[in-house]
Amino acid sequence: MTISAPTVERSTRASLAGSVVGLAVLAAIIAAPWWAERASQRLLIEFLYTLALAQMWNLLAGYGGLLSVGQQGFVGLGGYCLVVLGLQMGLNPFLIVPLAGVVTAIVAVPTGALLFRLRGAYFAVSTWVVAEVLRLLVANTASVGGGSGTSITQTVRGIPAWWRESTTLWIALALGAGATLAVYFLLRSRHGLALTAVRDSEAAAESLGVSVDRVKWYVYLASAAGCGMAGALIFITKLRIAPEAAFSLDWTATMFFIVIIGGIGTIEGPIVGALIYFVLRELLSDYGSGYMIVLGGVAVVFMLWIPRGVWGLISSRLDLHFFPVQRRVRNLDDKEMRS
Amino acid sequence: MSNQFEVDNGRRNVVKALGGLAAGTLLPAPWVHAAPNTIKIGYVSPQTGPLAVFAEPDAFTLGEMKKALAGGIKVGGKTYAVEFVVKDSQSNSNRAADATSELILKDKVNIVVAGSTPATTNPVADQCELNGVPCVTNDTPWQPHFFGRGGNPKTGFEWTYHFFWGLEDVIGVFTSLWGQLPTNKVVGALFPNDSDGNAWGDAKLGFPPVLAQKGFKLVDKGRFQSPADDFSAYIAEFKKNNVEIVTGVLPPPDFANFWAQAGQQGFKPKIVTAAKATEFPAAVQSFGPRANGLSVEVWWSPVHPFSSSLTGVSSAQLAAAYTQATGRPWAMPLAFKHSLFEVAIDALKRAADLKPESIRNAIRDTNLNTIVGPVNFRKGPVPNVAKTPLVGGQWKKTAKGFELVVVENSLAPAVPVKDKFEVIKA
Repeated sequence: MTISAPTVERSTRASLAGSVVGLAVLAAIIAAPWWAERASQRLLIEFLYTLALAQMWNLLAGYGGLLSVGQQGFVGLGGYCLVVLGLQMGLNPFLIVPLAGVVTAIVAVPTGALLFRLRGAYFAVSTWVVAEVLRLLVANTASVGGGSGTSITQTVRGIPAWWRESTTLWIALALGAGATLAVYFLLRSRHGLALTAVRDSEAAAESLGVSVDRVKWYVYLASAAGCGMAGALIFITKLRIAPEAAFSLDWTATMFFIVIIGGIGTIEGPIVGALIYFVLRELLSDYGSGYMIVLGGVAVVFMLWIPRGVWGLISSRLDLHFFPVQRRVRNLDDKEMRS
Repeated sequence: MSNQFEVDNGRRNVVKALGGLAAGTLLPAPWVHAAPNTIKIGYVSPQTGPLAVFAEPDAFTLGEMKKALAGGIKVGGKTYAVEFVVKDSQSNSNRAADATSELILKDKVNIVVAGSTPATTNPVADQCELNGVPCVTNDTPWQPHFFGRGGNPKTGFEWTYHFFWGLEDVIGVFTSLWGQLPTNKVVGALFPNDSDGNAWGDAKLGFPPVLAQKGFKLVDKGRFQSPADDFSAYIAEFKKNNVEIVTGVLPPPDFANFWAQAGQQGFKPKIVTAAKATEFPAAVQSFGPRANGLSVEVWWSPVHPFSSSLTGVSSAQLAAAYTQATGRPWAMPLAFKHSLFEVAIDALKRAADLKPESIRNAIRDTNLNTIVGPVNFRKGPVPNVAKTPLVGGQWKKTAKGFELVVVENSLAPAVPVKDKFEVIKA
């Protein structure tokens, strides 16, 4: 019996099969305006931007170790870019989506400088405070509608319905799939190792020469930009924006729920979590407040007994990785080892 | 090796099961489409959340409508069954927009109706306007609805119609009410930073210019962020300026806080006329004896001399039927919910066919005597808006608890005055 030389693998059979299926799904979604009904397109749009938000929170909390409960601040700010850049300056709403990412990333610089002086629970609470401050600033700015909010129908009105719906879907796809792939490639890059090291132990990472601060900054700014872009897209579909709707804690609660039940710190987790969230919502949303109680109950059960989420359960039982970010050594006595 | 296969099987099953479950619930089921002989009316209403009190008459009203429309309605010579698709806005404008979009895209309703504050009517109408679906709304003063959606008084909207009173009416009713009693004419304002508060306090379109013109002095400390639990600063300011009249448009919990703290801090205005907060019997009962003498605008009451175009019942009969069926006292939204369906059904009956354009044209030509008064979209202050009459009322203690009695009718003399307006006896 000869022992072949061990090799380092960065892909799995599932990931190869997964990428084929993934490409097919992407192609199907791009073509959705030609085969799907508008109601299904709407749902796809919602699913994709929710996935983008969840991936952003997962990047922040799952990898960067930054537990934020204030991401709604960036969602709202992105939404309000539509009012300033679209309603007041007359830009095309779809062009505003990437611009909203730039604006929120710029705003995140001073807030980040403030927040990174704090740790743990203080950091979490302060992210919420920052979001509330942003909400109150907007609510007291009469030129963007103040506390009354405003309709942004005018910015979207000239665009023919088919193009409006299709472009919204394609941008949503770019955000949802883009966020997933961006996290994936980030984690496979050199910075990914640093990020995972910071996730597992800040002190250990620092002692190995990882610049923890720089990693946190990257993650925080990327997440702010992602949430801002999603926010702009969300309010293109809602058509009406008001401070309490734009800066609603619901956005962060949704991200939190999806990542917790899907599996925090995995790329597949938010996808699975978002699917579960939408299935629950479609099945239960007609039950009013009972639905919220069920969602809350599910989240508590997961946090107590399944802290690694559905995907954590599946991947540990079945060794299934669609987005492998680990390095595995193969052919060591036919066993495998993970780095 | 065999182990490997089992694992693969497990994976496949998991992936299949997840995919199947997701596809099953997320893709629209082809069998939910309406039968060709059914007209679908979509209805969005805040059944849960802070605005839920507005939706209390929903179940009763829908029950009445189903009874009245059991035989279907005739459109263009063909009889159709009528189906109602009801969605909860959760008192949230995001959810209201989603619910409307679902009604339009998934349920494919022929017409959307909605009511209860700008947080419901504005997002609902915006979705309908952009998607080209006929829409009728009410129960939001017309300025926050029309201007709050960026409406242009010259062109108006294409698909969305609204009927209710406006700020000019409520200002007229309030000032006429206050003119009935001798006071120093100093008015303290409680306007929150929301759609209503900003519209009422607006320096050009709101209370300030009219009050100045009519000789009232306004003490306005600016917009507060609702929900608010401390009104000490407002009360101190009102006391300092010797305010005798308090007005505002604020949610019941905020007003309850203000009114309790005013009592504790010895602030005793002669007149308190607060919209929204004191419109509902349930909220008013909770103030206890301090509810006696509070005044408010009245958009509908059992003494209003109107009757339903659909069922023929009078205002008094509708109120009595509601109390009998639910055990609850009448509230103003009851008739407005009813009238929403009156206008929708009337338009459908007059429509040439079920094309959205035909239904829209029929709504535009509406000239109907409803349970809340005449509705005519051609005569509005701006396009797409019709105004309904407004009077003033005061809560008076009776043997059965507090009752809202009409005490002022200068803008709508057809509504009979039942009692005299009195100073609050503290």
